[in-house]
Amino acid sequence: MKLLESKPVIIAMNSLKYKIRNWQYPVFSLGFPVMFTLLFYFFLGRDSFSLGFPGMVIYATSVGTVSAAISFSSEKASGMMERLDAMPIGRRNIFLGALISETVVMAIQILIMFLLGYVILQVSFKGFFELFIGFIVALLFGISSVGIGIIIAGLAKTVEVANAISLFYYLPVLFLSGSLYPFESFIVYFTPPFWAKQVYLQITVLGHGLFDNLYSSSFIYPGGSAEMIPIPLWGGIIILFGFTISFVILGIFIFQKKTKF
Amino acid sequence: MNSSKITNNFIIELNNLAKYFKDVKAVDGISLKIPRGELFSILGPNGAGKTTLIRMLTTILTPTSGEAILNGYDIRREKNEIVKLIGICPQEIVIYNVLSAEENVEFVARMHNISKEEAKKKTREILDKFGIAGLKKSTKTFSGGMKRRLNLAMSLVHNPKILFLDEPTAGLDPQARRIVWDFISELKNKDVTILLMTHDMVEADALSDHIAIIDQGKVIAQGTPSELKERYGSDNVLEVKFFKNEEMEMLKKIIDQKDMSFIAECNVLGERKLLIPFQGGLKNLEKLLHLITESLDDVENMKFRQNSLEDVFLNLTGRRLRDK
Repeated sequence: MKLLESKPVIIAMNSLKYKIRNWQYPVFSLGFPVMFTLLFYFFLGRDSFSLGFPGMVIYATSVGTVSAAISFSSEKASGMMERLDAMPIGRRNIFLGALISETVVMAIQILIMFLLGYVILQVSFKGFFELFIGFIVALLFGISSVGIGIIIAGLAKTVEVANAISLFYYLPVLFLSGSLYPFESFIVYFTPPFWAKQVYLQITVLGHGLFDNLYSSSFIYPGGSAEMIPIPLWGGIIILFGFTISFVILGIFIFQKKTKF
Repeated sequence: MNSSKITNNFIIELNNLAKYFKDVKAVDGISLKIPRGELFSILGPNGAGKTTLIRMLTTILTPTSGEAILNGYDIRREKNEIVKLIGICPQEIVIYNVLSAEENVEFVARMHNISKEEAKKKTREILDKFGIAGLKKSTKTFSGGMKRRLNLAMSLVHNPKILFLDEPTAGLDPQARRIVWDFISELKNKDVTILLMTHDMVEADALSDHIAIIDQGKVIAQGTPSELKERYGSDNVLEVKFFKNEEMEMLKKIIDQKDMSFIAECNVLGERKLLIPFQGGLKNLEKLLHLITESLDDVENMKFRQNSLEDVFLNLTGRRLRDK
């Protein structure tokens, strides 16, 4: 019960209420991932699409960057951030509250994508346990996306600029990661969506059970240069963790420094 | 609330407080002492530095130099203690517009460490007082006056020791303004120190115990409203509008030449309008009117009124409060 009384949770609940009543944005931010999912499904056919769907899930979670950037910069622009600053809360609690609410919205969005892919379009997957782990991986990547969104909101002066920067970041990075369409370049290894997609793909589609996956010597990659990386799955998970933690810490730091006057 | 560090009778002490934005001196070395339980107004035109001052005192902005002590706590070093004892009603309406009034106020109460049950109770009480209780709909549908009252309610729900009001009645119709004034007056009797930032001299005159007039980031005068009017103004003012500018210039020249001791220095108020401050009552008014009728055939219109804080500001700066 104490946890529910904590300020980050109260802020998160307040923010969730706000998001639910402004339901158009979270719903329509899934518009493009849903549209691409349907297009790829019809172009590739159900069997081939099972390799493409993880990229769509990662695409959907990338949207968190834009959503967080807009929501934080709107609070800044409306003066609410200043009002909160003059209360005994602390920037860290504000950040955590926002992160919790964005993560809950993200989880709902991933579940909607799962419903579309695995229930409606019947995309194949290894098993429910693997799918649950895939969900956690997607959520972890989603948190890193939110972290980047908050960094952008901290740097941008207006909501419009935050929106533009976040779009300018997430779409190119998504393409450069090869998550939407195969891209054979060393650049992919520097992009968080690449690791999120590969881990997700290996767990939910390609591997032979989670434990086998964890001990296999390298990523299973159906063609392309990534075959050459001798990094095991857990290495990829650590890299993904590394990205997420770095972005969240950097987000807190920039949020505290850059939005101060 | 454990923020009870008390040093003396002054709850707010500013010592040479300044804030510069590159070359712009928004607040330029303000020193003030504000007694506990007072309603103290900072009166000044737009851009005088009122909002910058409030943002420093509420710990949002870091001062460039100087010192500010609130209830014994330093704004630079003891931010955590200061935010527990203050309430701020910003100039803009800052509310969550898809939430209800209750949800907005309750959220602020919870952020001030008030338990859920107590927060609900206090929320109901304060919204009731402001006449916006029981409205479950989102604040999007509220009128400007209702939003303004909610903005104020959010700053009061936790019973702050110091309340900062930044232009609390800006944009309100006279009726809504009266409701807010009544509530502010009521607060004066409840051990709350109120720092009111306003450019509305009627508001400052009606509500304040003491006033500091600021211009270009500096305090240019301070005292009670009557002290200020006495010190920097005259008893009465005759505002005359002429048909032609030349007529105005001529009358101004005549008044200067006649050296009438009961008339203070005249101020030109824009096109064809002259402000003639004078001491004394009917007798002197009669002399003044006689002088006008002797010099001119007619004037467009005239207004006789009591000296106001606007005149004080005009005498001090040569500009009106509403001028940029």
